[in-house]
Amino acid sequence: MLIANNLTKKYGDKIALNNLNLNIKTGEIFALLGQNGAGKTTTINCFLGFIKPTSGEATIHGVSVTNHSAETKQYIAYIPETVMLYPNLTGVENLAFFSSLANFNYSKADLSSFLTKAGLQESAHHQAIKSYSKGMRQKVGIAIAVAKKAIALLLDEPTSGLDPKASNEFSEILRELSTNGTSILMATHDIFRAKEVAHRIGIMKEGNLVSEIEAKDISANELEQLYLQTV
Amino acid sequence: MKKRTIQIVAKQVWVHTLKNKSSFWLISFFNILLCFALISGYYHHYNQQKTVKAYSHDVRERWESNPDKHPHRMAHYGYVVFREKFPLSFFDFGMDSYVGNVVFLEAHKQNTINFSEASLSNGLLRFGEISVGMILQLLLPLLVFFWGFGLITEERQHGTLRILLTQGVSWQELIIGKAVGLFYLSLTTYLPCFLLAFVFLLLDASTYHNVEIIGRFLILIISYLSYFFILSLLAVYVSSRSKSSKTSLVSLIGFWLFFALILPKVSQVAGKNLFISPSKIEFDTAIEQELIEQGDSHNPNDPHFKKIKDSLLKAYHVDSTHKLPFNYGGYIMREGERLSAETYQKHQIKLIQVYQKQQNLIRLTAPLNPLIAIKNISMALSGTDYIAYNNFQNQVETYRYHLAQTMNELQMKYISNRVKNSADKNARIEKKHWEEFPDFKAEFLPLRAVFMNEIISFLSLISWIIGFWLLIKYSGKHLKAF
Repeated sequence: MLIANNLTKKYGDKIALNNLNLNIKTGEIFALLGQNGAGKTTTINCFLGFIKPTSGEATIHGVSVTNHSAETKQYIAYIPETVMLYPNLTGVENLAFFSSLANFNYSKADLSSFLTKAGLQESAHHQAIKSYSKGMRQKVGIAIAVAKKAIALLLDEPTSGLDPKASNEFSEILRELSTNGTSILMATHDIFRAKEVAHRIGIMKEGNLVSEIEAKDISANELEQLYLQTV
Repeated sequence: MKKRTIQIVAKQVWVHTLKNKSSFWLISFFNILLCFALISGYYHHYNQQKTVKAYSHDVRERWESNPDKHPHRMAHYGYVVFREKFPLSFFDFGMDSYVGNVVFLEAHKQNTINFSEASLSNGLLRFGEISVGMILQLLLPLLVFFWGFGLITEERQHGTLRILLTQGVSWQELIIGKAVGLFYLSLTTYLPCFLLAFVFLLLDASTYHNVEIIGRFLILIISYLSYFFILSLLAVYVSSRSKSSKTSLVSLIGFWLFFALILPKVSQVAGKNLFISPSKIEFDTAIEQELIEQGDSHNPNDPHFKKIKDSLLKAYHVDSTHKLPFNYGGYIMREGERLSAETYQKHQIKLIQVYQKQQNLIRLTAPLNPLIAIKNISMALSGTDYIAYNNFQNQVETYRYHLAQTMNELQMKYISNRVKNSADKNARIEKKHWEEFPDFKAEFLPLRAVFMNEIISFLSLISWIIGFWLLIKYSGKHLKAF
């Protein structure tokens, strides 16, 4: 589903991403761990088409991001570290706006059901986003991805700043999406959350993917040890 | 580019901005300000027109009620002409307040048009007037920039931009959509004022059926709509190129300063220095000098006029001017008037050419400055630019010349060469001749002429829109999502 083939990105002499090879299958959650500047966000930006790789290729659903960026957009959804959205609009209005841009015209009831599925309590659906907590805004972000019927989800530090309960709810939703066939690439600093939610975990250092582990084969403590040794 | 996506983005800008309470107050403030400027402008225009009509009627009555007298005395009795304001002048005052309104017309002399608003005011006028044109050209762009500076930078800073682009929106659709939304927002501030201005035009019986004036008004509205669309495109484009909202705001204020103050001032000073116009004293002295060289029609021994006298005597085979079949004094004055008018016209044309070169230099900056383009178009269509004033000046001089020459011809035809002076009983002609002389009626420039005069400004506005269209179309690849 999401494939990186010798993906490289250089800024002058600085290598941000070095010959990255990845293959994330349908319904798989892949977590990228690494320090700041390790190349996690660059990888996500290459898949989003916001960065043109120096060499190599990123493909989504078999379509090259570099050559057919607009086409690949229909398959993906993106949730940044902080989902700000439009503070004066309500959750439903924000969702309606983003869905209509992706050519989906839902009824108000449908929009509400997406927000409910994403874990947002009904009383908040018609409140302005400016009154939402970060966790609530992340849930709207999830609802946007679900409403778009994206087959691949790209997440950049999605649980950063969330309280444990909100973070746990978020992981639950990701697992549910994965069960429904959505491929997920998640960049995170949260080792525990990565172990809990991902099927596979990659550790990046200075633009290189230095370790790739099956989450089920390693405990949280072992993962932490490996991470500390690697970075 | 998908039209539907553009509409969705535009609607979002509209809804999101209008949900902000400050937008409500800003829209209300500008609507009140514009309506105040419009109503006060119309009231002033209406009163001035009433006054001009009343005094013009009075002048005509006094002219016609003159008793039988010598036509040359009537030529010096003169006529007073009042400058009528163009029906749309309440929209944009332009130069109206700085140019004269009344002129005294008499034989041999081209008096200046006096009593401008500025000359009669207490100096407060130097701080500028509040007209609809001024608010639309100078103040409202600040609101458009205020609404528009963060339209892309805030999305970028908040990370929403990446979500938007991931939803399949292209950069072009995003910028155009945001600009269209911003343009719709700007409409809320001035559309009510335009409608009110249209009602005022329809209320005026003289403009109700006048297709020309309605046409001018419609072109004026279209021009302002284009101007605000350009400003909206500029605001959103600058926002898309800026790294932060702060940079975007500073850049847009820089553009405003460049458009509103720096470029007009620089071009004005450059125009004045490159094409130097004579002072009033220099202008009058040059004409007087040339007239002295040509001769004095009141002096019987003047060589130029003596030559004419000799040729007349020869042509009519007479030995005295008393024997000529027409009044010799009238003939000489007609010749003198022709010479002095030609001399004045020659100098006036030169002066106007210098003024036009100065104006053209400013006009040529329109491709760099949409504010200059709309300012020129607005003044021209409102009939308050220099060309409209010059058109009035020319008609006044034509009328003055016609008045002086008609009186000279009446003298030639009806006054005997035997009369000693104008006080003589036989030197009078019937007062019916004063009634027969037509009243002054100024004609405003036709729309076609106005359009051609401001063709550079119209083309500039179109070029700005096309330029932005191309810029947005081809620069999308270089824009950054973060």
